[in-house]
Amino acid sequence: MALAARAARVWGSRRGWRQHPRWQQEQHFSSLDDKPQFPGASAEFVDKLEFIQPNVISGIPIYRVMDRQGQIINPSEDPHLPQEKVLKFYKSMTLLNTMDRILYESQRQGRISFYMTNYGEEGTHVGSAAALDNTDLVFGQYREAGTTAFREQKQMGGPGRFQPGSRLTSECKEGSNTRTEENQCVLMYRDYPLEQFMAQCYGNVNDPGKGRQMPVHYGCKERHFVTISSPLATQIPQAVGAAYAAKRANANRIVICYFGEGAASEGDAHAGFNFAATLECPIIFFCRNNGYAISTPTSEQYRGDGIAARGPGYGILSIRVDGNDVFAVYNATKEARRRAVAENQPFLIEAMTYRIGHHSTSDDSSAYRSVDEVNYWDKQDHPISRLRHYMQSRGWWDDEQEKAWRKQSRKKVMEAFEEAERKLKPNPSLLFSDVYQEMPAQLRKQQESLTRHLQTYGEHYPLDHFEK
Amino acid sequence: MAAEAAAAGRLWLSACRAGGHWRRLCSAGLLRGFLQPASAVGDAARRRQLAHFTFQPDPEHQDYGQTQKMNLFQAVTSALDNSLAKDPTAVIFGEDVAFGGVFRCTVGLRDKYGKDRVFNTPLCEQGIVGFGIGIAVTGATAIAEIQFADYIFPAFDQIVNEAAKYRYRSGDLFNCGSLTIRSPWGCVGHGALYHSQSPEAFFAHCPGIKVVVPRSPFQAKGLLLSCIEDKNPCIFFEPKILYRAAVEQVPVEPYNIPLSQAEIIQEGSDVTLVAWGTQVHVIREVASMAQEKLGVSCEVIDLRTILPWDVDTVCKEECFLNLEAPISRVCGYDTPFPHIFEPFYIPDKWKCYDALRKMINY
Repeated sequence: MALAARAARVWGSRRGWRQHPRWQQEQHFSSLDDKPQFPGASAEFVDKLEFIQPNVISGIPIYRVMDRQGQIINPSEDPHLPQEKVLKFYKSMTLLNTMDRILYESQRQGRISFYMTNYGEEGTHVGSAAALDNTDLVFGQYREAGTTAFREQKQMGGPGRFQPGSRLTSECKEGSNTRTEENQCVLMYRDYPLEQFMAQCYGNVNDPGKGRQMPVHYGCKERHFVTISSPLATQIPQAVGAAYAAKRANANRIVICYFGEGAASEGDAHAGFNFAATLECPIIFFCRNNGYAISTPTSEQYRGDGIAARGPGYGILSIRVDGNDVFAVYNATKEARRRAVAENQPFLIEAMTYRIGHHSTSDDSSAYRSVDEVNYWDKQDHPISRLRHYMQSRGWWDDEQEKAWRKQSRKKVMEAFEEAERKLKPNPSLLFSDVYQEMPAQLRKQQESLTRHLQTYGEHYPLDHFEK
Repeated sequence: MAAEAAAAGRLWLSACRAGGHWRRLCSAGLLRGFLQPASAVGDAARRRQLAHFTFQPDPEHQDYGQTQKMNLFQAVTSALDNSLAKDPTAVIFGEDVAFGGVFRCTVGLRDKYGKDRVFNTPLCEQGIVGFGIGIAVTGATAIAEIQFADYIFPAFDQIVNEAAKYRYRSGDLFNCGSLTIRSPWGCVGHGALYHSQSPEAFFAHCPGIKVVVPRSPFQAKGLLLSCIEDKNPCIFFEPKILYRAAVEQVPVEPYNIPLSQAEIIQEGSDVTLVAWGTQVHVIREVASMAQEKLGVSCEVIDLRTILPWDVDTVCKEECFLNLEAPISRVCGYDTPFPHIFEPFYIPDKWKCYDALRKMINY
């Protein structure tokens, strides 16, 4: 905290370039002056030996707008969003929640190979997505499980397994605690069709990704959502480069980059922060601190005051927010966006939240945390509940509407789901394209060799599920 | 190498004289027994080795307009100059590129094109490549420099897991084809473990990227321009020992040399010699030696692009059954690149000649 305050005094609300060490390097200085002349820091001398104490007991405070019951605390912080917009927040979060429950179940039944649900983090994603322009580029994070549960989709329809075409029978429980990945929620907020979510998870002919990646690795060019990749934090320096290009293009665009508190330990995160600050890029670094990186709690991930405290170390304006408060997330992102594009500098938002669900379908989190802990967050501090209370207190929502919407959203999801499941997979020749922009001769030969191979040995391959 | 050392010595001495420092040293009595000219040193073994190759320039190319005498780093500068002139989105970045680069490849470009287009980055290779990928994802042209190929490894994840797979994994929704990574490469006489490496083999089996190594200034400019314009991420390794040693006439205007096409520099009928970068000049000499001493006719091929490589030129058809001797691979030993032992380590013309001789007598 003290460090942040000191940093704020140094940098102020706008980076003063005259205080910047670079400027001082270019100044004339007199060697008779007793002030420090080092190019590397702008600071005074001190003659008392004292180590700066990192303050983790009272860390950077957490900005919030609503309390846990969805009541506005300080009316001047209420963004006063119109009903229609708040309804869209709510419907995005809950629709995704519904989709998560159904797709999680479908993995359990062997219908898709893998799934990640995010329950409890919807607020971070909708709140931030709503504060962006539609053309702002999004680099998301997919937290990979090192999964052992990668069952190939050809197992679908096998003996003893669920038969394609019949309905999902297991009722998704109220407390089954599914989550939404920020990428899904941002996409959901940008009206990415359910059919396309499903198509990617099933890797069917409609998958814009052409069946190349595991489920949940979405991407959408029209919605400016860069395709997810499994390696953690690799998107961070990439997002910075994209922001630099946006700045050069005078495009009035920013880039937002999401990652978890675990990914923030990667070298790529350090690289990204440092580059963004030194190269003055209009980017928002959005860290979802949800308490766990698979089984690793934050106490084993870092020893400092979370991720927000690192920002000032790079010269980055930083804030910590209550990630379960969709308005706090919204306000912080909105202001960061406004300033990032106006001032060409990066912002760091650390959204505190909790991962209610398992890390993925390959994880059983009861192995490393208590059910009580999980239940607390599900029942006492949930972004969807808090927003619902806010809406109800304004008369914008009631139990009737809730019931109707749940039914409607489930129906929408099921329809898209069944449709996606019926579709064939893409033609196996698509295994070979897009490695390069043009197909090299060697690869074409390999493609022809597979075609010939299938002519003789096709019966041993699941060709029935694939387009001819 | 000795000539360079002597020249460097003379430069130091004249600089000292100019500054008055020389006089102070003289009067301090320190100069006696201090830095006598290399030629005065009695023991020849203490003199540093000459280079293991002789650069052989190609005949001047007439087809590309006016030419100018350039060494390899100047040819690189020329290519970069051409690129930034015609592509307003193109930017060059890396460690120390702003002042001109540690090998002078970017001299003058920041003044000419501005500090938003030619700029230093912090010292972080994974950041440099990741940042470059991000620029390329937006469609702008990114030319990243990794100061020595030996330091490309922190960026390996970004290159192999990200850049190479960007187009494929997104179903062609996104790509970073406008990224080029350039890096000084290969042995230089004294580089030891960390200033001599040739790491192309680490990338040679990574689908999605292209890897290119030129043998000369003319080749370097044309191949680099092709890499920059290629719609796939490319790694361009520049043989650092050739930066100053290789001089030839190079066209001033831009031109392209196609990627994935090997070049048959010399046709022959008995033995095929394949190499890339500096080594091409070694095997050219070996080909002459073979002709002269053994009456053997050698075909000399410069591979130029390592990935995707030109199989058809090297191997006209499935040649396994047509070979009269096993393929011989002459390269460094399976050790890290040593310092003082470099003359013994490198695949010089004597080792190549010897391998050829054994092959002929197989």
